[in-house]
Amino acid sequence: MRYIREMLLVMVLVFSCSESSDIAKYEPVSVEVEMPSNFPDMVYNMDNNPITEAGFELGKDLFYEGKLSSNNAIACAFCHEQAFAFTHHGHNLSHGVDGGVGTRNAQPIQNLAYQTSFMWDGAATHLDLQPIIPLTSEVEMNETLSNVISKLEADTDYQDKFARAFEDGEVNTENMLKALSQFMVMMVSSNSKYDKYVRNEDNVTFTALETDGLNTFNNKCATCHATDLFSDQSFRNNGLPINPLLDDKGSYDILENTEDLYKFKVPSLRNVVVTYPYMHDGRFTTLEAVLDFYDNGAIDNGNVDPLLLREDGSYGITLSDYEKESLIAFLNTLTDTEFLEDERFAEF
Amino acid sequence: MKLLKYTFALLACAIFTNCSIDNDDNEEDLSGETGELILKFDNSVGDQDFIFETSYSKSNNESFKLTNVKYIISNVRVTDTEGNTFTYPTEENVFIVSELNGNNAGEIYITLNDIDAADYTEITFGIGIDQERFALGADGQGDFLDLASEEGMMWSWASGYKFVRFDGTFSTDTVTDEPLNIHMGSVGEALDNYREVTLSFPNTVLVREENSPEVHIVADISKVFDGATTVNFADGYDQVHTDETETPIIASNVQTMFEVHHVHND
Ligand code: HEC
Ligand code: HEC
Repeated sequence: MRYIREMLLVMVLVFSCSESSDIAKYEPVSVEVEMPSNFPDMVYNMDNNPITEAGFELGKDLFYEGKLSSNNAIACAFCHEQAFAFTHHGHNLSHGVDGGVGTRNAQPIQNLAYQTSFMWDGAATHLDLQPIIPLTSEVEMNETLSNVISKLEADTDYQDKFARAFEDGEVNTENMLKALSQFMVMMVSSNSKYDKYVRNEDNVTFTALETDGLNTFNNKCATCHATDLFSDQSFRNNGLPINPLLDDKGSYDILENTEDLYKFKVPSLRNVVVTYPYMHDGRFTTLEAVLDFYDNGAIDNGNVDPLLLREDGSYGITLSDYEKESLIAFLNTLTDTEFLEDERFAEF
Repeated sequence: MKLLKYTFALLACAIFTNCSIDNDDNEEDLSGETGELILKFDNSVGDQDFIFETSYSKSNNESFKLTNVKYIISNVRVTDTEGNTFTYPTEENVFIVSELNGNNAGEIYITLNDIDAADYTEITFGIGIDQERFALGADGQGDFLDLASEEGMMWSWASGYKFVRFDGTFSTDTVTDEPLNIHMGSVGEALDNYREVTLSFPNTVLVREENSPEVHIVADISKVFDGATTVNFADGYDQVHTDETETPIIASNVQTMFEVHHVHND
């Protein structure tokens, strides 16, 4: 049987030039993925899912496709909008199909190929499989994988797009997830003012205020918001008061280990100026509020990160007014307008 | 055009069939020959056949009734009398055994095709999804993701597989018909609950082109709770999901539940 398939393939190849059909064919045109020199090593294994132009384009179509949801209206992009580094603008808790409200603030989609886990609690450990969560979650897209595939299969446009993107050309879950990953792997944000400054590009310089902010950041924040991804990718409890309405226990819910109580993924601070509101539940609307929280809002919720323990026994990070001002100036240098306006990732 | 394709395919087919016939003049030589191997899973509780909604007692005066019995079997391989191991092709080597798909006798069949013809003495398989397969992400999963999702063998709040699903109700001395849900699986690399079992065949399994032997595997569900470790619903084993202390115990119990009851060499 396998021989037959191979033979058919040979036949198709041999006769393809003479064939005047309009059937789409596999187009393995590979695309370069950006690996910025100031980033740590990429985690995503592209050998298992080589990125092609057609695969990336299909992934983008799927990301903006309402059919991925039960009411055909909620696309991934509904909660992940480009102008806000692909977060759900103006929503502390994202809502999906039929107004269902989730319990967390949408995370930005950027540099995911460099991440070891996904979601605020790390509930996803492979980028390819992450989309299954929003797709099948009742309060997000409320669909089933097989139903999404049936909808896509019925669409001749998608039949062609899958045929161009994948060797076996099949409209199936494997290929849908691979295409979404290809799109997300390409979404690298690495051209902020800060990046150009550390890479000595375009003669970019920092103002005195920005430099002071960078120094304060390195002294007081970079243990957790580490590397040029601005996250050490660990799960930590930064002393936020518990919201009794949600009582979100963070990564505790996964292994039910009490050491994980109220721990959340240290978020990247790239494009942080546009990703408001802040924290896993979006409780702070401004960066000023975040810094005031670190300075004097943290509480002992039973499991706060020891790094935040101050000499007087309280938790937090003491910050003067000038330190706050300079930190905000520094955080502003992490905005990457090239990424936020990159047409490759834009819907239209 | 289409006609030409098929003619060519038929031709190719004929050529390949011919070759294998040519090689077949020595009756001891099994090289190139393949056959089917059928695995027949039969769930039981102790020495009773498993039946939905029937109450079975366990240790500690507790009992359970189940409406759902499913588990993932993967990485099936068989070893022959000469010590050679035949591993089923990785991409297809993952199955969901669900009591709901059983015949009237509650038997669930998995047919393995294109197994090298040989005299096999033992079988090894995994319960769940191993780290290597998980690390492939979507790659090579084909339709298994849809199947697993449809069968409720994937979490919707985390990206991972439920290796087993035992859903129903339980009763103890103090409570009656409370919900029972045992959904054990791995969590990324942090918690690896994949386990393998190796079972010897009571007599040699002869896989031949014209022979499709059947291996009758009995899975004793009572072992989930009274296996290597005895666990009590009253102590929190009524709801098992991704907890890092409870799930490895269930995984090790599930590992003890399989036995090859007999083999048919038809
Ligand atoms: C209803 C709003 C909503 C929709 C629709 C949605 N997401 Fe999300 N997304 C979120 C929220 C909220 C989070 C954070 C969830 C958490 O931590 O529990 C998130 C997190 C993520 C993450 C993790 C990012 C990180 O840094 O760890 C990825 C990747 C992602 N979404 C991709 C997608 C894709 C792909 C789709 C479409 C298939 C999608 N999302 C649809 C709201 C949504
Ligand atoms: C002990 C580790 C740690 C230190 C030190 C730390 N953070 Fe954080 N930070 C976190 C964690 C964990 C979160 C997410 C908490 C949550 O949502 O529950 C966070 C969240 C944030 C956010 C919100 C980002 C978003 O997208 O929602 C900002 C902004 C931030 N931190 C800035 C800072 C600054 C500035 C400093 C230094 C003054 C700092 N952090 C020091 C661990 C830390």
